[in-house]
Amino acid sequence: MTAGRWTQRLHLPTLAVAAVVVAGWLVLSWRYGAFVLPSPLAVLRGLVEIVRSGEVWAHTGASLARIAAGFGAAVVVALGMGLLAFLSRTARAVVHDVLAVLNATSVFVWIVISIIWFGLSNWAPIFTTFMITLPVVASTLVEGVESVDRRLLEMGDVYRLSGRQKFAAIVVPSIVPYLVAGMKVGFGLALKVSVMAEIFGVTTGIGYVMNYSREILATQMVFVWAIVMILVMMTTDKLLFDTMSRRLTRWR
Amino acid sequence: MAVALEVAGVGKDFLIPIIESVSFDVDAGDFVCLLGPNGCGKTTLLRIVGGLEAPSRGTVTLGGEPVFGSGRHTRKVGVVFQEDRLLPWLTLRENVELVQKPLGADAPLRRRTADRYLRLAGLAGFEEYYPSRVSGGMRQRAAIARALAIEPDLLLMDEPFGSLDAQNRRIMQNEVRRIWRETGRTILFVTHAIEEAVAIGTTLIMLSARPSRIRTLVRNDGRVERAKLIDDLNTMIMEEVERQQAAGS
Repeated sequence: MTAGRWTQRLHLPTLAVAAVVVAGWLVLSWRYGAFVLPSPLAVLRGLVEIVRSGEVWAHTGASLARIAAGFGAAVVVALGMGLLAFLSRTARAVVHDVLAVLNATSVFVWIVISIIWFGLSNWAPIFTTFMITLPVVASTLVEGVESVDRRLLEMGDVYRLSGRQKFAAIVVPSIVPYLVAGMKVGFGLALKVSVMAEIFGVTTGIGYVMNYSREILATQMVFVWAIVMILVMMTTDKLLFDTMSRRLTRWR
Repeated sequence: MAVALEVAGVGKDFLIPIIESVSFDVDAGDFVCLLGPNGCGKTTLLRIVGGLEAPSRGTVTLGGEPVFGSGRHTRKVGVVFQEDRLLPWLTLRENVELVQKPLGADAPLRRRTADRYLRLAGLAGFEEYYPSRVSGGMRQRAAIARALAIEPDLLLMDEPFGSLDAQNRRIMQNEVRRIWRETGRTILFVTHAIEEAVAIGTTLIMLSARPSRIRTLVRNDGRVERAKLIDDLNTMIMEEVERQQAAGS
């Protein structure tokens, strides 16, 4: 019983698979050389090095700041779109169509356009992140608005709740799970997209430093930063969004 | 305060006529049960009385004020739906407090009123529970407490025990009857169960098959023996069901 639980806690089967992967990695890096595939040990050393020098915080911080700006703005605008969709049927149809177009637009379109518009500056990755995450967050929010239980709203009418009371007591709590889900997906996307946009023009951030490492032939650092990115992703998911959704849906 | 209800020539069409014409008067403090075959428009009639749907013709007056007309009437109507319609993210107490907000009661009063009616509905000790944590019967009690908490002039109940098992149903019938005696509200209660209606109502109205009219209106004041009344109503409802099926095919 307890042994079984510990196996689960430690993800023992996953660890076993990881061990096999690392072993394979070792063999391949020995076969093809450090330039193509650096050894696990070199990557680990690189990781220790950037943590010690503090470089890891500088670049991660720069990336996260851009994400906070772009993604934060996307959430705010998405909330506005959700509100519009709630207030008017016509607005809802327009929002739907706009989001369909935005959803169909490639990341690369926004990267190229933002470089043209904003030059090689901070605004390029921020704008790209904004444009890519907006439709994701807004779509789930609009879906949430549409799924508000009409029967509960009718209950609100029976008891003559004002528009504001209905909004606060019925609409907002109905939408919160959708908002959290949308933000979770949106944040993951933001991290991936903003790092990509950082290849161009800026001199900080995980994307920049990965591309730079490639240029100076420090392949092991590309792997190091990839690991940093994965860790950031998993931590925010666990710490931020899991806590948030647990807190907000205590009543379930 | 309980008020009288007048339904005069009310009809409703949804593509086809559902309710042809229904008229009846309810005295203040009456407990009226609305019976009829499935699909005859009982719920629709209740929704019209509650102001949730406009009638195609006819008028509804509540304590002398028209329900449909210019502006809102000032009478308070509480509704218990087939489903509890509690907000799942609020505790039972918060659910009952919420509906008192438009009445302008301050927070301590709202809380006292909520606790009083939750106790009346047999939910003392469960005030802090979320709806998902209590049984279906208790949720329906909370919905009744919520409807009573606005101290309604008219209480509408739409098959409120439809989702309960036979045992809980019996218990809730007694509870509603007791609450009615203790609060003296005017109640309009829709049900398809004749035994239920005879057990709790003071006035029984049976609607005919679609397009519905009133088939019969009886005072359940003990002058007619209960068993006989149930028999008669059962015969009538079977006739109406057959008529509806004949018309439908």
